[in-house]
Amino acid sequence: MFNKKVSINSPRNLLFLFEILSLFLLLVSQWNNIEKTIYYIWIGLILIIYISNYLLNKISSGDNYIFLIVTMLMSIGIIMIYRIDPNLGMKQLLWLSGGIAVFYLTYFAIKLIRGWDRWITLYIGASYFLFIMTFLLGTRKYGAINWINIGGISFQPAEITKILVIFIIASYYNKPDVFKKYRYSDYILMGIIYSFIALLFLQRDLGTALIFYGIFLFVQFIYEEKRKLILYNIGLSSIGAILGYVLFDHVKIRIQTWIDPWSFIDNKGYQITQSLFAIAEGGFFGTGLGLGHPEFIPLAYTDFIFSAICEEMGIFTGIGIIMLFLILVYRGFKIALNQNNKFYKILAIGVSLLFGIQSIIILGGVLKLLPLTGITLPFVSYGGSSILSSFIALGILQVSSEDINYEGEEVVE
Amino acid sequence: MYNLISILFKYIFIIIIYLFIFSIIRLIYLDIKSINTITLEGNAYLKLINRRDSLPYKVKEHYSIDDEITMGRYSDNDIFIQDPFVSKRHFKIVEDEGAYYLEDLDSANGTYVNNERIEDVVKLSNGDIIRVGNIEFLFVDRG
Amino acid sequence: MNRENKRIILILIALCICFTGLIGYMSYFQVFRAEKIKANSYNKRLWINEERILRGSIMDRNGNVLVYSEERDGAIQRFYKYGNLYSHIIGYSHREYGKSGLELIYNNALLNINENSAIDEIINIVAPTTVGNNIELTIDHGTQERARNLLQGRKGAIVAMNPKTGEIYAMVSMPDFNVNRLRDDWGTISEDVNSPLLNRATQGLYTPGSVFKVITAAAVLNTPGVETNYNCEGSTTIDGYSFSDYQNTAHGNLDLNQALIKSCNTYFTTKAVVVGEDKLRKTAEGFMFNSNIPFDLPVKNSTYPKGNLETTELAASGIGQGKVLTTPLNMVLTASAIANNGEIVKPILVKNVVSTNGKIIKSNRTETLSVAVDSLKASAIKEMMIGVVQTGTGSNASIRNVQVAGKTGTAENPSGKSHAWFIGFAPANDPKIAISVVLEEEGSTGGRSAAPIARDLIIYGLNNIKF
Repeated sequence: MFNKKVSINSPRNLLFLFEILSLFLLLVSQWNNIEKTIYYIWIGLILIIYISNYLLNKISSGDNYIFLIVTMLMSIGIIMIYRIDPNLGMKQLLWLSGGIAVFYLTYFAIKLIRGWDRWITLYIGASYFLFIMTFLLGTRKYGAINWINIGGISFQPAEITKILVIFIIASYYNKPDVFKKYRYSDYILMGIIYSFIALLFLQRDLGTALIFYGIFLFVQFIYEEKRKLILYNIGLSSIGAILGYVLFDHVKIRIQTWIDPWSFIDNKGYQITQSLFAIAEGGFFGTGLGLGHPEFIPLAYTDFIFSAICEEMGIFTGIGIIMLFLILVYRGFKIALNQNNKFYKILAIGVSLLFGIQSIIILGGVLKLLPLTGITLPFVSYGGSSILSSFIALGILQVSSEDINYEGEEVVE
Repeated sequence: MYNLISILFKYIFIIIIYLFIFSIIRLIYLDIKSINTITLEGNAYLKLINRRDSLPYKVKEHYSIDDEITMGRYSDNDIFIQDPFVSKRHFKIVEDEGAYYLEDLDSANGTYVNNERIEDVVKLSNGDIIRVGNIEFLFVDRG
Repeated sequence: MNRENKRIILILIALCICFTGLIGYMSYFQVFRAEKIKANSYNKRLWINEERILRGSIMDRNGNVLVYSEERDGAIQRFYKYGNLYSHIIGYSHREYGKSGLELIYNNALLNINENSAIDEIINIVAPTTVGNNIELTIDHGTQERARNLLQGRKGAIVAMNPKTGEIYAMVSMPDFNVNRLRDDWGTISEDVNSPLLNRATQGLYTPGSVFKVITAAAVLNTPGVETNYNCEGSTTIDGYSFSDYQNTAHGNLDLNQALIKSCNTYFTTKAVVVGEDKLRKTAEGFMFNSNIPFDLPVKNSTYPKGNLETTELAASGIGQGKVLTTPLNMVLTASAIANNGEIVKPILVKNVVSTNGKIIKSNRTETLSVAVDSLKASAIKEMMIGVVQTGTGSNASIRNVQVAGKTGTAENPSGKSHAWFIGFAPANDPKIAISVVLEEEGSTGGRSAAPIARDLIIYGLNNIKF
């Protein structure tokens, strides 16, 4: 029926080729101690990716690029993580499979359940609940208290809060008139978002705070009728930033090591300088997988994965990753532009902003173009909560790319 | 041995990644070009539900409906699709006082609206799915 | 298009700019910054090669090994035979304190690493090198040792080179440090106000004082129609500012020859104004001021002030005061230019890079950098400089049987005691060695303190260097 000619240029096949080749490389490198299960899982994941890309075209009438782009990003990421630490690579393989499952789950849940735009109180409540949980059960990791440990599984609640914040903002701006009957509703929203940001400051999770702020500011810029509020927002945040710099040592250190890491190369500036060494060492084509020294980079599998990729796969691959994020964000905004349902439109904007801002912050950070804040590179970095929340966000974007044929109560199937 | 392969592969990987990016940009470009060729000025339009690149013949993503639109295999139709399932003149949609009506033009294989084969004329409402053979259109009325 | 969508597109554009900025910055980083960052000693990758490749030796012009590596107790160690003597030119390669000098600049050659092409890379992978290349210097170990002894206990620098080939025979900067005791001394030497880590010979910028008069003399000869006679009264006032001669001595009637021999300040300040700003600056630039001297070690550019100078400043420049600053390396090139018919040749420190099987991989050849003056004027100035040593301020540099040409300088130093200078070359009829000596904040005249040092080194060099 669908006798479409198979073209070598078809991105799906290119992705498949990329994965098969990396599996081959893995096979060569571990020729002596072959552990079969690894290959089964690898092959399994490759098939899942291939089939998913194929099936999604059939299931969803929406965008068929974003999932492709994301699977490419995650393939590059998993290769690097596996190369750095096979044990983490194994775990990441499972997380990714879980992530794809969560993607489909989110897709169907968002699509089939109506009324996502009416539960703003629930989202706000859940966010505060997650914050409280973090403070009660949180453990400190890399200087930030943003992990909770339940039954041996570490989990970063802020990753889920990211999604909730997008829902809160979307619910509010979807029907601002409904909220207008409460006085100062717009100030209350701003207050809530700012309270999240303040809580993140206390947890020392500056990167996530920046993401929240960016998403809020940009959506406000698009939808807020009272333009004054945007100025208030910018003014307040500038004051907040200055206060943060004066009050918190950890903020001060970030700025210092950003301006001149070389003077603190032994201690505070160690991470960023090691990252710069790795990127510089890679050159345009990299040293080749397995031939560089990403083991010298601290946290090479999460925050600094981009540096590790640049070292072994070259600046060209690094630029490729940036371009993939660029296309992903572009598609997200395109989806938002084409969406007529306002709620889903704002969701699409929120998710695109999330991907865009998060990747810019961490990429700029490891390049020393921006102050370094410890966040993950979406879909590429190692980390269960990060992978899952990114795939939830992608699921939302996938739904938003379809024609939503209902307004509020009116449901037409 | 591994080292050699690794060095070779780093170039191959970069080539693949860039081909991948290029092919996606090309597809997106084709996509945008097809959208820009029509202006969705009117209130109502038909949107193709099938993936365009999964169909072996030329078809557009959107067709706007002004006051009348016809569909069939012949090229004098507004929507002409060279599919063996499609009759020479298959169906037409006409506007009347703000409402849109679909009329089957005695096609061989019939026209389905929301999976019900229609006999002669049926009033369309926003979100209806019109199916001819394997091709599905979504009817959108923003009026 | 409605307002909402317009704003969405605006934000999309902003994000696109950010991403493109990232790509642009990455490319910039890779092209312009990466090399320097990679060389930082905290980059552990640098030391990985060090563990498996036997770093090459460094030898002087006669094959004396100065630095070598050897495997002891299963680890490769670097041995510096002369702790202080080569601390500025060879430098050090140290795990904690990084690399400096030739050890830094010739690092890849010493380790025999090529990073130029994909093919080199594959060759490195298939047949990794285990032995680095050796480096042959133009330095004469004996002359270097003598030069250091002469400077012992003082601050300053000596550079001796062959004016025709550019080969550096000795390059000493004092105070120096012991590369074998970095771990013990680092705290002291890195904070010492006398900056022992600084290579004064190439990176010390000094007011040249009267040695600059060689260049002003060249400018006078280069300007047709300048009256070269002058009546010196011991002091002169230019634009309200008074310039006087050493101890206010009135030299009487002078021509250019006599003026240089007696190092007459009033003569050269007056003539600098006559010659004009443009001509003097162009002549100084012919002597490598304001331009980069290509060398195996990092060099600071000498500066001659640009832009509209006030007349007093121009006059001060004529006697090497004011904003004129130079390096000892630049001044040895100035002496060499006069010795070498006006041509300045590129200074060479590394003669050859030689692989273990004796193949010469890279060698530095003599190159002309600039023609400072034409040969007629060069020989005229040479005659004057011979006069300086025979009968003038430089008589302490004169040697029996060998004709020495030279010029002394006592540079006023606004931040301390004056610097003592001597530049010159010998033998005057067939120059084999050119020399520049600077004694920082010596507080004595160049003729009294710098000229005898030059004399001693020239005698040693002429007797011992294999030219």
